[in-house]
Amino acid sequence: MTEPIIPPAPEVPEAPAGPYVYDYAASPQRQVVMPKTVPLPSYRTYLAEVKAAAEADEAKWKKMQADYETAKAKAEADGKDAPKPPVRPVPRKDDNDLKTPWPQEAKDADLLLLQELLGAKVQEIFEQAGELTCQLEKGALHEALLLCRDHEDLHYEMLADQSATHYPAASDFAYSVVYHLTSISRRKRLRLRILVPEGFVPESACSVYPSANWMEREIFDMLGIAFANHPDMTRILCPDDWEGHALRKDYPVVGWGQRDISFREDRGGMIERIALQKAGQLGINLKQPKAD
Amino acid sequence: MFKNEEMEINLGPQHPSTHGVLRVKLRLDGETITHCKPVIGYLHRGVEKICENQTFFQGQVWTDRMDYCSAVANNLGWAEANEKLFGITVPRRAQYIRTLLNEFNRLASHLIWLATHALDIGAMTVFLYAFREREDILDMNEAFCGSRLTTTAFRIGGLREDLPPGFEKMARKFLAKFPTCLEEYENLLSENRIWKKRTVGVAMLSAEDAIALGVTGPVLRAAGVPYDIRKAFPYAAYAEMDFEVPTQTAADTYARYLVRMAEMRQSARIIQQCLDGMPEGPVMAKIPKILKPEVNEVYHATEAPKGEIGYYLVGEKGSTNPYRFHVRAPGFINLQSLPKMAEGGLIADIVAAIGTLDIVLGEIDR
Repeated sequence: MTEPIIPPAPEVPEAPAGPYVYDYAASPQRQVVMPKTVPLPSYRTYLAEVKAAAEADEAKWKKMQADYETAKAKAEADGKDAPKPPVRPVPRKDDNDLKTPWPQEAKDADLLLLQELLGAKVQEIFEQAGELTCQLEKGALHEALLLCRDHEDLHYEMLADQSATHYPAASDFAYSVVYHLTSISRRKRLRLRILVPEGFVPESACSVYPSANWMEREIFDMLGIAFANHPDMTRILCPDDWEGHALRKDYPVVGWGQRDISFREDRGGMIERIALQKAGQLGINLKQPKAD
Repeated sequence: MFKNEEMEINLGPQHPSTHGVLRVKLRLDGETITHCKPVIGYLHRGVEKICENQTFFQGQVWTDRMDYCSAVANNLGWAEANEKLFGITVPRRAQYIRTLLNEFNRLASHLIWLATHALDIGAMTVFLYAFREREDILDMNEAFCGSRLTTTAFRIGGLREDLPPGFEKMARKFLAKFPTCLEEYENLLSENRIWKKRTVGVAMLSAEDAIALGVTGPVLRAAGVPYDIRKAFPYAAYAEMDFEVPTQTAADTYARYLVRMAEMRQSARIIQQCLDGMPEGPVMAKIPKILKPEVNEVYHATEAPKGEIGYYLVGEKGSTNPYRFHVRAPGFINLQSLPKMAEGGLIADIVAAIGTLDIVLGEIDR
């Protein structure tokens, strides 16, 4: 019986002792790719982007024309044929059923009313994909929620959903917290949004909409935003002793021992090596089968 | 020796009546519940985080695995939320087939609710009957997409396949016998003295409390609020369908039973209309193989059998993954109302309260 050929083992990082200890840098597979942009929908940003793109397009076209003029003058001086005049490129039209919903100016009566009532506390209002968004100053949220629920022309009875997003690439804020309100009687939906920096404690919506209770606990659990005046600000989905907040962008996707072996690319025989190692720990000799 | 003090007990996490791994901390005074606190999270898998690290197409399989009893309804919400994000118009035939399968799924989900709810309360026979009919619906799921429970029935932009040959015959055969099946269940339960004693006036939740707590679906409609997203914010082909929103005013477990039974009749009506008015044409919109959104955020809510299921998506320019994905699970929000329903009632009735909420822990914990 010949011994099976065991290839040299690549280095596998040792898992730390405790079950809840996370060392992000320890494993190369656990490196987190942080987002580089701030995908916060906004009509103002959209207008600025469109303007910048049009200006860049215009500058490019002017440069093409200037190049043509110099080339033409040079050709005339040399006595050669004049070069072809430039053609302005037309944006490519895709033949598909996609019609990107761009942000649009707010025309809905509810948004205009909110802006009128709250004045400078409303930072931005716009519509996109048929949804109404109202961005508020972070301190004015409680007042806005009360207004939305009780004002006779608004009457948003239900807080359907509350959620938050982590924006690590943003400079002046870290999270956006969104509130999706539903008016059952008027068949309307409205989104309120606040931008909060790291460590800021926004006011809880529980006193206005009791349904915010568990949703705010979930946000606290997943993103680490604590809410002030909340009746029970504890974790809800993860255990109480869990470390870190899973839906932050700096939280790794893989746990210990999951991605350390790639089954698809097991060229170094890592699985076999680990099996032998485990067997050795248990006192089983896999290398030499028992003689009959 | 008799002591006059409150007793604390745990219902679950491993208990047949909790429909998964739900733990309810109860404080009892005799047999009366004085304090009730649901503890969840035992099935947390991080679906939102996983979907944020997968492409828009890959994320769909996870929606099946949230509420496995209503996988098709979850797929519909996911597909439509993405279509809203990208601005895709879905062909009309695909909309009809989606509506059709969604209503079949509502029947399957309500049947499994009826079966388990009745079993919890002590009516064993209904369980077997309801599962018999559910089997036919799962067979139709299998005929359509090859899978019975975790269907991944739809694609972003439409459907992968048209209806298979013979599907319409299967569906019509089912529809022909289904009303008699419903009568069978009602004969067993509606006027049953024990059933009424266990459900009438049990686990009350008034309309004001339900709206304040964000409760949706049959539980809200049984309190007299005719809020159905299929009517209020029509999606798929529901704007073209003729159906009613059944409501009750009693706001107890029996009223929710009546609402769900009436809803099944309406679902059968919608299926009939879908089959009769099925338009011809393509089932998939023309979309690129790789979808990259512009900066956009959408919240799209649809009426799942359990209530409002909402998908919140944030798109990042040039990225193939959603930047943020959040699910407004109907069970998660509805379960918040359990203390309101159970406190002041008897301990035997909390089983009815959990059953009437129609919860699936896979969706609550995500």
